[in-house]
Amino acid sequence: MIGNFLDQFWSLTFGGLSLGFIYILIALGYTMVYGVLRMINFANSEVFMVATFATIIIIRDVFNFTQTSEYATGFRLWLILGTALVASMVVAGVLSVLIELVAYRRLRRMNSGILAPLISAIGVSMVLAEAVRIMTDSRPVASPRAMEKSFLGKFFDADVRLDNTIIIVAAIILLVILLAFVNKTRLGKAIRAVSMNPSAAKLMGINIDGVVSITFLVGGLMTGAAGFFYVLKYENSSFSIGFELGIAAFTAAILGGIGNIKGAFYGGLALGLLETYASFFLGTQWKAVTVFVILVLVLYTRPNGLFGEAMTQSRA
Amino acid sequence: MKKRSLISVAAAAALAAASLVAVAPASNAAAKRITLAFQGPLTGEEAQVGQDELAGMLYAVKLFNAKNKGKYVVRVVRADDQGDPAQAAKVAPGIASNTKIIGLVGAAYSGATIASLPFYKQRLLPMISPSATRVSITDPSSPGGALGVPVFHRVVVTDKVQGPSLFKLATKGVSSPKVFVVDDQSAYGVGLVDYMKPSIPAGQSVGFDSVSDKTTDWSATISKIKTANANVVIYTGYFPQAAVFFKQLRDSGYTGILAGGDGVLSPSFVTLAPASVLEGVRLTAGTVPLADISSKLEADFKKKMGKASGVYAAESIDATNIFLSCISKGVTTRQAMLNCVKNFKGKSLTGANLSFDANGDVAGGAMNGFEVKAGKIVFTGPVK
Repeated sequence: MIGNFLDQFWSLTFGGLSLGFIYILIALGYTMVYGVLRMINFANSEVFMVATFATIIIIRDVFNFTQTSEYATGFRLWLILGTALVASMVVAGVLSVLIELVAYRRLRRMNSGILAPLISAIGVSMVLAEAVRIMTDSRPVASPRAMEKSFLGKFFDADVRLDNTIIIVAAIILLVILLAFVNKTRLGKAIRAVSMNPSAAKLMGINIDGVVSITFLVGGLMTGAAGFFYVLKYENSSFSIGFELGIAAFTAAILGGIGNIKGAFYGGLALGLLETYASFFLGTQWKAVTVFVILVLVLYTRPNGLFGEAMTQSRA
Repeated sequence: MKKRSLISVAAAAALAAASLVAVAPASNAAAKRITLAFQGPLTGEEAQVGQDELAGMLYAVKLFNAKNKGKYVVRVVRADDQGDPAQAAKVAPGIASNTKIIGLVGAAYSGATIASLPFYKQRLLPMISPSATRVSITDPSSPGGALGVPVFHRVVVTDKVQGPSLFKLATKGVSSPKVFVVDDQSAYGVGLVDYMKPSIPAGQSVGFDSVSDKTTDWSATISKIKTANANVVIYTGYFPQAAVFFKQLRDSGYTGILAGGDGVLSPSFVTLAPASVLEGVRLTAGTVPLADISSKLEADFKKKMGKASGVYAAESIDATNIFLSCISKGVTTRQAMLNCVKNFKGKSLTGANLSFDANGDVAGGAMNGFEVKAGKIVFTGPVK
């Protein structure tokens, strides 16, 4: 078993990493909002689901791909991928902002406490999932393949595949941009200020509603990118994947320490790799069990997650 | 009130029929009048299945009546059980006590079949179901013995046959098969593997995995398959997951055979993955679309019935043809029909041998094989 594992180590690791980066981006959707509002935006999972459909619609309907089409190459390929990525991010970002406006803002103004927005969030999730379920006839929807999943080369024994590489590289670029935004810009500083102390931030003249909208927008953009990467890797979606991936990403956020960008990063990577290794060793049926046992063990010793304490110090 | 109006309608219909007979040509007056019945969901949510099967039966009867003009007139009584056991228990007594009916095509659903069986067994009404596939109906080892003996028969094969057939089809033409089997943790998927296992020759199995149907990332299973160096991969589950799994497996560089059971055989299957990925996927199913048996047959069906054939059309026609062949041998009573069906030996529409074993299961009936070619599921003949 160990020998087999070592044989497959790098290919499992690549698969786990690209899955991990998808988790990271969705986890950021939860974590950004939690950092600022101390609220779990459960609707984020459905924002992700809607983003996957945005990508599918771009590839299938805008660029007219079918399952028997020739793969795109060169400039056209990058145009398609770029359009789909931007479209998914924009759709998810705008949807996130709208959800905040419709479902949370008034509750927040009326100081409703924690429970009312929680139910409101679950309600929004259900509305989105049901709407998509009705539109898709409860069926899974496949994305035609626009890009050939070619092998770029070998890393030790593992094949390095184009789609996994694109996901990892593009996700790292997005994360660097996000960190620069939060740490280096005025808006980022405002987000951090609201995260640390909303009342003080308000007294300093920071527009809290504006900051909250920006936070939802940024979280939505990241979640939207995850939707695009998910379709690039798995080429399908359904009304129910929000729930499945959402739970995983939420777990990743908790594992790393919610409300904390670094936490989302390490939590997502850890979860992606753990799931993949555990499935290999114990069988796929034990994946969820293993993950949650490890989560409980981590929380046992670090109740706020791996990086839970850093939240109020420097990052949103 | 409702009952009385029904009776008067029936009386009017009988009168009309009598007057029709009166004006019919003299040769037709000598024709033997035989009644068969169909039982299945004709209304309600499952109506499509029943209506499609009924159309298959009526098609077979239409051909028979046309061919035997002057000798036989077969008519079909319809029993609507809505696919629901409770409803079946209400309609079955009426069918059972109508002794003019000497054979029943149905019931379409296993639950409805089981609910109807006590009545049909009591009155010895021979049944041939095109689509009731629950193993326990014909399984002597089920509690209380095989439920359907002696009246129940079916022309569709169960997962007991599908398991070994799927293995056979998947390894066909492979000189040294190394088979890896993956199920989807459902009762169907796990059951299919259980029925398959005893038929796997020693040394041909290199591994099993059981994967939730919620799985999106298959890399762990794929790694196991690669470690095991498998050249045949069988998936027992449903088409949405199969498409995703096969796609990821092919993308990982796997070049061996891919195979699946009737859960994968859906027109939607080929829309869920690129045609190049699914090329050559082998599938088994108990049913086979009429159009795949012969496009001429499908065209004739459409012309005569006014609609395209549906699922289990071929099986409904096969079931009806068994009764009809007995009728043409002179059978007029339930007891004679039962003996005739039990001893029946013939061919199905697909050309497979058709006869029943002691428990009513189709003996010569084979699973049908399919292959994905250029983004289409193509019938490749019975699995032999």
